[in-house]
Amino acid sequence: MADEQVSLTSLILIIILGGLIIRYLFFSSPAQTPRPRDAQAISRAREAAVERIQQIFGPDRVDRRTILWDLHRNGGNIAATTERILAGRIETPPITFQPPPPPTSPSPSATQTQPFKAPPKPAEPDLITRYKLQDKIRADSEAESSAKSKAWSSNRNERQASLQRRRDEMILAARRKMEAKIAAEKAAGNAPQ
Amino acid sequence: MAQSTAHRRLLQEYKMLTNNPPDGITAGPVSEDDMLHWEALIQGPEGTPFEGGVFAAELKFPKDYPLAPPKMTFLGEVFHPNVYQSGLVCISILHPPGDDPNHYEHASERWSPIQSVEKILISVMSMLAEPNDESPANVEAAKMWRENRPEYERKVRESVRHMLGL
Repeated sequence: MADEQVSLTSLILIIILGGLIIRYLFFSSPAQTPRPRDAQAISRAREAAVERIQQIFGPDRVDRRTILWDLHRNGGNIAATTERILAGRIETPPITFQPPPPPTSPSPSATQTQPFKAPPKPAEPDLITRYKLQDKIRADSEAESSAKSKAWSSNRNERQASLQRRRDEMILAARRKMEAKIAAEKAAGNAPQ
Repeated sequence: MAQSTAHRRLLQEYKMLTNNPPDGITAGPVSEDDMLHWEALIQGPEGTPFEGGVFAAELKFPKDYPLAPPKMTFLGEVFHPNVYQSGLVCISILHPPGDDPNHYEHASERWSPIQSVEKILISVMSMLAEPNDESPANVEAAKMWRENRPEYERKVRESVRHMLGL
């Protein structure tokens, strides 16, 4: 009987210990952000935390500085900050607390497509402007020497020149065609676009 | 490492694209000093609103190309369900294998070293003709493409002309 009891106690002990270990390994990490070593990593983690918290409450309800102040004081614990905001116990940071400005590119969002996301960029000029083809548009009618040296040259400068020529020709040819098409449409009395 | 694997492979692809260019495609390095940075021109496929257009795109290759795929970004606005507003192209051939969280792409469609720049550009061309609205990169474009096709086509045609400076 005594033997059985001992093994039962140790069994319970093992189960509790095992449970604690599993909890420590798998369930403790999401609640607490990892402590990165260098300051840059910390600030990146903080920005991500701010973004997460603002996603929960909406950016209007709690401002970034307040969130950063609270995270700063509790060592970056998102759960604790969230609870304090919910309970209305969040404190206004002192004036002396001036966090660095938010990074220019938004910190990565949690979506899976994140690596394929890039910040929007300013409007690009059209291809004519981009490849400086304004002069060539005027001189285009003389059908750019059709001696297209398509073959691979062993000279890299020639290769470069040939690539550039093919590129310019492709754009100019498309533009000529499109101009003709627009003219034809106009002639036909504004045919459906 | 003057002649890395990526460099050699890209030079070989450049040579093939020069000697035997697919219809409506021009591509090569911006400067041979940096083989990991290319620019390509793609013609809009016929019978689509992109017809008659020419689209420039930038290709950025990773150092371990061809193990990992390049990133392709259109220069200038391309209003298309599978192109982010930044111009970044999102199609399966540009996704490394094992990187599909949604499990709708076959491994064979995704990037592997047996693919090539040529295959990417041809895939992008057919993507212009046939958007895949399962994974829209541009939600607005995807919605318009599904629900208001005439307006989508009008918008695309307009951008095609703008791109040619007309």
